[in-house]
Amino acid sequence: MNHHRVVRVGLLLAALVGTDARSVGAQTTADLFDSQTLHEIRLFINSKDLQELRARYTENIYFPADLLWRTIRVRDVAVRVRGVASRSATKPGLEIDFNRYTPGQEFLGLHSLVLDNLLPDPALIREFLSMSLFARLGEPAPRESFCRLYINNVYQGVYAIVEAVDADFVARTLGECGGYLFEYKYVLAFYAEHLSDEVGIYRHLFEARTHQGESDEVLYSPIRDLFREVNQPDDGMWRDRVSQYIDLAQFVTHVAIEMFLAENDGVIGAAGMANFYLYRSAGQTVHRLLVWDKDTTFQQIDWPIFQRADENALFRRALAFEDLRALYLDVLERCARVAAEDDWLASEATRVASLIADAAHEDIWKPVSNNAYDEASEFVKTFARERSAYVLEEVARARGAR
Amino acid sequence: MTVLADGVRYLPCLRAEVKLATAAAIALSLVTPVTAQSLRLTTDASSSIGAAPPLQDPAPRRQQSKWRFRWEEHPSVRLGDWLRVDLRARFQGDVRRSEVPTGEPESRSVDIARRRVGIDGRFRGLLDFQVERELHDDNPWRDVYVDYRQFEGVQVRVGKFKLPFSLDENASATDLDFVYRSRVASVLAPGRDRGVMVHGRLLSRTIEYEVGVFDRDGDNARSKSGKRVFGGRTTVGRVRARPFRSSKSAIADVEVGAAFTSSDVPEGFPDLRGRTALDASFFPSNLWVSGPRRRAGLEARWRPGPFSVQSEYIRVTDERHGQSVEDTDLSAFLTEGWYASATWAVTGESKSRGLDVPRRPVQRGGFGAIELAARLEKLSFGSEGRAGLPSTSPRADFVLGNSDRAVTIGVNWYLNRWVKIQGNVIREQIGDPTRGPLPDRASFWSRVVRFQLTI
Repeated sequence: MNHHRVVRVGLLLAALVGTDARSVGAQTTADLFDSQTLHEIRLFINSKDLQELRARYTENIYFPADLLWRTIRVRDVAVRVRGVASRSATKPGLEIDFNRYTPGQEFLGLHSLVLDNLLPDPALIREFLSMSLFARLGEPAPRESFCRLYINNVYQGVYAIVEAVDADFVARTLGECGGYLFEYKYVLAFYAEHLSDEVGIYRHLFEARTHQGESDEVLYSPIRDLFREVNQPDDGMWRDRVSQYIDLAQFVTHVAIEMFLAENDGVIGAAGMANFYLYRSAGQTVHRLLVWDKDTTFQQIDWPIFQRADENALFRRALAFEDLRALYLDVLERCARVAAEDDWLASEATRVASLIADAAHEDIWKPVSNNAYDEASEFVKTFARERSAYVLEEVARARGAR
Repeated sequence: MTVLADGVRYLPCLRAEVKLATAAAIALSLVTPVTAQSLRLTTDASSSIGAAPPLQDPAPRRQQSKWRFRWEEHPSVRLGDWLRVDLRARFQGDVRRSEVPTGEPESRSVDIARRRVGIDGRFRGLLDFQVERELHDDNPWRDVYVDYRQFEGVQVRVGKFKLPFSLDENASATDLDFVYRSRVASVLAPGRDRGVMVHGRLLSRTIEYEVGVFDRDGDNARSKSGKRVFGGRTTVGRVRARPFRSSKSAIADVEVGAAFTSSDVPEGFPDLRGRTALDASFFPSNLWVSGPRRRAGLEARWRPGPFSVQSEYIRVTDERHGQSVEDTDLSAFLTEGWYASATWAVTGESKSRGLDVPRRPVQRGGFGAIELAARLEKLSFGSEGRAGLPSTSPRADFVLGNSDRAVTIGVNWYLNRWVKIQGNVIREQIGDPTRGPLPDRASFWSRVVRFQLTI
């Protein structure tokens, strides 16, 4: 009898120990970002902090919290409200920092995580589908899955679990460490013009996410030089000079994928550049783009493939080169074929829409009614089915026009 | 900031110290005539102090009902046996140099640390009183109290004065063995507040007790910002014993004691924060507390002949009711520390009688009293809970704390009853230097010279 009791107590203790974040063996990030599952994440925030978080949601104030996913509880994480247009007090988008308060703490090897409130997207799945396409085309993209989020056991709605673009992400996708990573911050309508010879102004547009302790000169002079060279007169050396500071082929590829997705708030956005990261390797001056925040894609099926192509100085001048224009059209065509192959994009849209449907209907904080949500969801599926044909037709027309 | 090993940068400090020594000499020359004759004056109530003619003999008994002015240890005004009022003044100037930024401009070599004036005295042998005020301070009033002392076993003190907690904190600033009090006394002992206290001596003065109630838990636990929280109504008790008092040997001086305080702290970040000797932060205490604050202290002292040893341990716990991320209780915020110090009067004076009366004072051609002192101490911050990973989260159960371990070597030079010069070299070591004043260095040096004139 006593022996059995000891065994039971032992098993109970083992189970309790097994729930601790540091002793997780079986769970991995692949499990967390498994998009076949609708996850459940619970955050615990002191009631006074939660009140203040909602009251001061426009500020980037960190609050302490515990995060619970499956049986793993990560203690003393730091949570803050994130987003620009999507900032909300009622359904706050959240950035979770696992080691801000606790040195060395990780969650499944991650140092931070984003819980996207998906507010700009009435269908709630645009972000996921967009990132999936980027990844399918070989571009580094954050992994994503969906969850029901509870704060203090109160349902907050459907959120996307988004891999943060940070040093961990760069290491996973590019296999690099020690590079310079910048998050583009939307503070003005910026079209890749040269703002100033002073590096300080670029600090406001590009927030360093690595090497924060280094001087502005080290961090930002390559960025300043990039936009200075972009705006130099065309003297036959423009491309060579600009290529010292940006991978033009990667830039064009990135824009082409956004264009296929009919992105209204991306690199060639309606109000200037938005929603990307800039990365350069350690000891280099060449930058590349990394995709971020794609919940304003899928605008319309017949979204032109050269929408606002003339507005951005860098894109306009890059497309003036035949090989880069050809690359742009090739990537658009590849997007269309990948999306259409085995009806992949439409199938994905149908699958994830079905996955989150019940949770979305219960989500009283989503920006639209259930009927509007259903309609938006249907539109995304239609876009996914029909966008490829339109783009292929436009690409053929563009090639023919030359 | 001056680097000790840097001879070139050391020079400005030497200049400042020379200035200080010069000031000391001037002060000494002013004081010497007074000390030489132990001035004793008698006036009537209406005459001024300076206008009164000196008398060579003690006042005759028939004059006891008149006002008299005397200057022995202090300038003193007396009305017969009814009233004694001693005038007090203390001026201190510090020269500080540290490898840690002190917040003072490099050019400001002398910091006038204190300019304090006051009176104390006795009325009809029943009431002691003291009024002391700091000049040029936002919180000028220091001790302001009366003490009803008719019965040795039960005396009552009312007013503003130091809470009876900590040997070091309750030592007079003029009698400190080091320029600065120990870290535990400065940070963890309550300091002054308004209150009422019953105290007395029992069993032929073998036991001394103090029990009181105060408005708050002392000014050491309160910053000027007013943004942080501190203890409210505070109960305090202290018992000291000299168990070998009846002995004829040196062991008779051995004194041990224990003290406690209890108060409630409202919700907020506490004002008990980790500061180095020169006031640089090493633990900001950015964590939520709410609930009872309890202090406990142990103390011991022994002063055989020219030597002394002294030690204290203080522990403060702040409860954190309802402060977890789930609104439940967290383990208590724990602050604790200790020190052990020793002194040696090289010139042979008895420590228990005080070194402020040197055997060979300077004004009589002597060298004054010289005392060497050393102190080892530690102050640490953390939590009672120690499960999981330590964290700087304001709601962490296991608080990632920090500590300051300091060694102080000092020399005290008592020129005479009124003038004292102290020099201290302090080496501090921060447990987690990344959160200390020099993130890339765990240890650093500071030097302080203090000139003190006491009247």
